[in-house]
Amino acid sequence: MEKILEVKDLHIHFNAFAGHVKAIRGVNFHLNKGETLAIVGESGSGKSVTTKAVTRILPENAVIDNGEIIYKGQDLLKMSEKEFTNIRGSEISLIFQDPLSALDPVMKIGKQIMETLILKQKMPKKDAEKRALELMKAVGIPNAEKRFHEYPFQFSGGMRQRIVIAIALACNPELLICDEPTTALDVTIQSQILELIKKIQKENNLSVIFITHDLGVVANMADRVYVMYAGKIVEEGTVEDIFYDPRHPYTWSLLASMPNLDTRGSDKLMVIPGTPPNMLYPPKGDAFAARNRYAMKIDFEREPPMFKVSDTHYAATWLLHPDAPKVEMPEHLKQRIKQQLEEAGRYNG
Amino acid sequence: MLKYILKRVVAMAITLFIIISLSFFAIRLIPGDIAGENAAPEIKAAMEARYHLDKPLGEQYAIFIKNFLSFDFGESMTLYPRRPVFTIIKDKIPLTLMLNVFSLCLTVPVGLICGIAAALKKNTIIDHTISAMVVFNVSVPAFVFASLLQYVFAYRLGWFPFLLNLDATFSFSKFVSMILPILALSFGGIATITRYMRAELFEALNSEYMLLSKAKGLSKVQSTLRHALRNSFIPLCNVIIPMFMGLLGGSMVVENIFGIPGIGSLTAASIQTSDYYLTIAVLFFYSIIGLTSMLLVDLSYGIVDPRIRIGGGKVRE
Ligand SMILES: Nc1ncnc2c1ncn2[C@@H]1O[C@H](COP(=O)(O)OP(=O)(O)OP(=O)(O)O)[C@@H](O)[C@H]1O
Ligand code: SF4
Ligand SMILES: [Mg+2]
Repeated sequence: MEKILEVKDLHIHFNAFAGHVKAIRGVNFHLNKGETLAIVGESGSGKSVTTKAVTRILPENAVIDNGEIIYKGQDLLKMSEKEFTNIRGSEISLIFQDPLSALDPVMKIGKQIMETLILKQKMPKKDAEKRALELMKAVGIPNAEKRFHEYPFQFSGGMRQRIVIAIALACNPELLICDEPTTALDVTIQSQILELIKKIQKENNLSVIFITHDLGVVANMADRVYVMYAGKIVEEGTVEDIFYDPRHPYTWSLLASMPNLDTRGSDKLMVIPGTPPNMLYPPKGDAFAARNRYAMKIDFEREPPMFKVSDTHYAATWLLHPDAPKVEMPEHLKQRIKQQLEEAGRYNG
Repeated sequence: MLKYILKRVVAMAITLFIIISLSFFAIRLIPGDIAGENAAPEIKAAMEARYHLDKPLGEQYAIFIKNFLSFDFGESMTLYPRRPVFTIIKDKIPLTLMLNVFSLCLTVPVGLICGIAAALKKNTIIDHTISAMVVFNVSVPAFVFASLLQYVFAYRLGWFPFLLNLDATFSFSKFVSMILPILALSFGGIATITRYMRAELFEALNSEYMLLSKAKGLSKVQSTLRHALRNSFIPLCNVIIPMFMGLLGGSMVVENIFGIPGIGSLTAASIQTSDYYLTIAVLFFYSIIGLTSMLLVDLSYGIVDPRIRIGGGKVRE
C-alpha cells in the first residue's frame, strides 16, 4: 500500500521557563493512502504536538530535535516555508483542538470560508461563494444563505466549530488531520460530521488522522490505532488488534478508561491510577512503569523496544519479552473493554 | 442609536456646565489684576464696572451664565480689550489647525509604520530601537524636546528660523519655518500611536485566528494583512480619533516656544493676564473638543466593530 505520510523518530521539546519539556520522544508512525488512523492517549501525551509538527504550526518555543516527516516522498521539515504554504491547507488540512476563538472576529463567516478558495485555488468569487454555501450546509449550518453574511460572535460554539471544519474541508485536502474535532458538539451533530468525513473520504480517497478520546469514534472511523503515552507510541495495530488483543498495560487501562458516546460524562468510567510523568524530567526506563502494577525491575532501568506481536501489531512493553513472566490482562479490564466494545458496536448500527 | 447619541449629548451639556462653573470660580483664585498693578483707580473702577466685577460673586456668576446660555461668551478684558472672545478664538483657529494638520500627516503614518515594524520584528534590533525611541518620547516633556529642536537646528546649525514666519501668503520660507514646530507637535503622537499599534498588532499576531489562517494555508503576509492588521486597527480608533479632534487644540508649549499666535499660546496668555472671560471661553472650547472626541470614539467603535454594530454590546473574546 502506498504510504502518504510517514513520521520517523520525531523528537520535539519545548523551551519552557523551568527547562526543556520533552513532549515528543521518538514517535514513529505511518499512514497509508485512503486510510484512517486513530491516535489515542491520555491528555498531555503529545498528540496535538505531533499534529502541529506535521502541519508545521508549532509554537515558537518548540524545537524539533530530530526526525523526518515524509509526505509523498518529501521531508516536510526540510521544505521552505514558502513551499510548504502550498501544501498546508490545500493538501494537508488540520482541524485543531479548541477552535472556538479561531475565527477572525471581524470578518464575515462566508468570507472566511471563501478565503482559501479564492487566494489559494484561484477560484472565481461566484464559484467560491457557491462552494462555501455547500460546505456550510454539509456541516449542518441551518439557514446557510443568511448565516453566510454573519460574524463569528453571532454563532454558537458548536456552529463555530463546524465552520472551522468546513474551512478545513474547503480545498479538498488529501490528508485531513482532526484533533478532537467533535468534542464540543452534541451527539447528533457529531455523528453527522463523522458521516460527512467518511463520505468525503470515500469520494476523494482521503487519508485521515483522527485524534480522539472516544472509543466509539475509534471503532466507527479508524482502520488502525496508535496508542501514545508520554511522547511515544507504545502500541500500534489494527482496530481489531488493539480492541481484542491489546498487549501494553497502558492500553489496557486506557481502553478501560475511555469514554464513548453513551458513557460520556457518566460515572461508569475507570481512572488510570497515578499521573503522567513530568516531561521536564522523563523517567529512565518505561515511562509507564511507575503507574504499572505489572512493572518489573527492568522497566525502571531500560526502555522497552517495540516487540512484534503480528505483522500489523506492535507493542513496546517488556512483558512481550520471551523471558518475561506471563501476565494476562486482568479479568475486570477485559469485561470493561468488552462492554465498551459492545456499546460502540451498538452505536455502529 | 439616536437615543444613545441624544443621551450622550445631554450628558455632555451637563459636564460642560459644570466645567465652566468650576472654571468661573477657579479662575478668580489665580492672582492678578485686570487693570494692571499701577493703573489709576478710576480706570480700575471703570473696568470693574464694565465687566461686572464690582458686583458680588454670586451675581456675577448669574450674569455670566445667563449670557453664556444666550451664546454671548463675553469680551476679552486685557489681552484684546473689548473684542468678543468668540471672534478671537475663531481667528486663532486657522493657524493652529494648519500646523496640526501637517503634524498629523506626519504622526499617523510614521506612528503606524513604526508600530507595525516593531510588532512584526518583535524582539529584534528593530523593535528595540523603536521601543527605545518610544520610551524617550514618553519620558521627555514636550517643552524640552521643542527647545532642544530649536537649540540644535535653529541656533547651532541655523537650518531653520527660530520663530514661525507669519506672512499672510504661503511661501517656501514659511513652510521651512513650520518644520520645527510640526516636528515638535508630532513628537508625542508618534510615540502614542507606535506604542498602541505595536501592542495591538502583537496581540493579534498571536491570536488563534492567526493560527487558523496559517493552518488554512495563507502566507504570513496574507494573514497579517487580512486578519491581524484589520483586528488591531479597531482599538486604534481610540487613539487616532482624539488626535483629529486635537487638531483644533494646539499645544500651549510648542506654540509659545515657536512664537505661534494660535489657540495654544492664547490659552497661556489669557491665564497670565487674568483675562477671565477669555480663559473660560478657551477652556470651554477645549472641553467641547475633548468630549466630542470621546463621543466620536464610542460611535466609531460601533461602526468599525461588527460585534458592537450588530451585537449591540461590548463583546471581547
Ligand atoms: N507551547 C508549549 N510550551 C510548553 N509545553 C507545551 C506546549 N505545548 C504543549 N506542551 C507540552 O507538550 C506535551 C504534549 O501536549 P499535547 O498538547 O500534544 O497533548 P495532547 O496529547 O494533545 O493532550 P490532550 O488530549 O489534552 O489534547 C504536554 O506535556 C504539554 O505540557
Ligand atoms: S515495559 Fe514494563 S512498565 Fe512498561 S508497560 Fe511493559 S510491563 Fe509495564
Ligand atoms: Mg491535544
